[in-house]
Amino acid sequence: MSLSVQKRAENVGTFRFIHVFLMETLARWVPNTPEMEVKVIFGRHIWDLAQQADALGHRTYELRAPLQFSLSPKDEYVKFLEDFRSTVTTQQRIHGFYDVILPRLASRYQAYLDSTDRLLDEPTARIIDRILGDFSRMRDESKELKNELPKLRLDDKEWPAQLANREAAEASIVAHRPVAAAAQA
Amino acid sequence: MSGLRPEESKQVKGMTLRRDPLREECFQVVSSDAEMHEWPGMTEISKRERLHRHMNNETGAIEIAAQCLVDFPDGPWELRMQLARQCWDESRHVASLYRRLREIGGRKGEFPISNFEWSVTCSLDSLAARLALQNRTFEAGELDLLGQLPAKWREAGDEKTAEVLESILSDEITHVRFANQWLKRMVQEDRRVLLKIAMAVRFLSAVTAAVAPKEGELSPTGQVFTQVKDRIPQVNIEDRRHAEFSDSEIDEFLRQSGFQSIMPAGAQG
Repeated sequence: MSLSVQKRAENVGTFRFIHVFLMETLARWVPNTPEMEVKVIFGRHIWDLAQQADALGHRTYELRAPLQFSLSPKDEYVKFLEDFRSTVTTQQRIHGFYDVILPRLASRYQAYLDSTDRLLDEPTARIIDRILGDFSRMRDESKELKNELPKLRLDDKEWPAQLANREAAEASIVAHRPVAAAAQA
Repeated sequence: MSGLRPEESKQVKGMTLRRDPLREECFQVVSSDAEMHEWPGMTEISKRERLHRHMNNETGAIEIAAQCLVDFPDGPWELRMQLARQCWDESRHVASLYRRLREIGGRKGEFPISNFEWSVTCSLDSLAARLALQNRTFEAGELDLLGQLPAKWREAGDEKTAEVLESILSDEITHVRFANQWLKRMVQEDRRVLLKIAMAVRFLSAVTAAVAPKEGELSPTGQVFTQVKDRIPQVNIEDRRHAEFSDSEIDEFLRQSGFQSIMPAGAQG
């Protein structure tokens, strides 16, 4: 059995929440990251994340939820995102965002695609396909930057794996709501 | 003017402003334009300093738009989208200016930089006030400047830089326009927004007066400072219209630029 319309809206609303959160995370980092080239790449990707959130927010409306509906994920996952946002060094920010957060989110999108009916839910699948393409480009840009600026190399090689493990600790991040609550949203 | 926490603020000539955003160690950060190393004419060092200064101003523009996304999470989504888009545009401006700077032999940190626009704009506690200063004042001023600069670079034989500046100009029109549109809408919804804007403009005037060089003072490169009124560039009427300034607003800018005597009688206040 595939996902109900409500479950699809909740998934899409959760993804939208994450994209807005990540957009704000990069925005928060721009002034307090010293390296100019890093400010530039964050500035570029703020716009990518905003467009992705916007596309997801239009899709929620088609799924009988409000326009630009965001659903906060489970508390543990929100805590994880907040902790990640407080990352201080540029090296950890770059490696954490591009080598952990985006690939992990891509895996969650893949899991969604595997669980939904790709015909009935094709508009969502198309949006996700485009987002995954964006992620790939964003990661390529970060690789170029890391090659250009060797000082962005991460000394603590264990750190990305630790971050990935924390992210993966929550298999399901969607805080599903009772049907009545969803109807009132 | 603002509810800045002590750790977020700095004192400059008696004014409380937002503390500078972070910069790499290669940069020497100064508090006002008067401390910048401005060179006359279009000599090689002057060209590099112009690009270097512009590059840092565009970096500040990314930071200001980004900080608006952080400080006003409940702003209308459509406006936040435009601020996010502005982050991308300003990032491309920094990258293109930095590329050009390197092509003509310059480097990051070659000259002092000032984060004046950030320090003033991000001291303000409302989104309307920030749009009024950053987009509608500083960036609109850039429209005037960029209306003239490409010709100056072409005269100096630098077509590539002229093209960079023309591309930047077209993006900046969009940033000024969306600010004009949103401010109009915000004022229509709540007249008290006008008070916020008026206070922001007054704050800018006070800060500008506080940091302005004294008459006869020399710049770090030994130039005599010209008065602010003598530094106002020619008003870029066409692009201000593209950015949705009204004719009466454009008339007011012309008046401030010393064109009062040649304006039609009806346009003179």
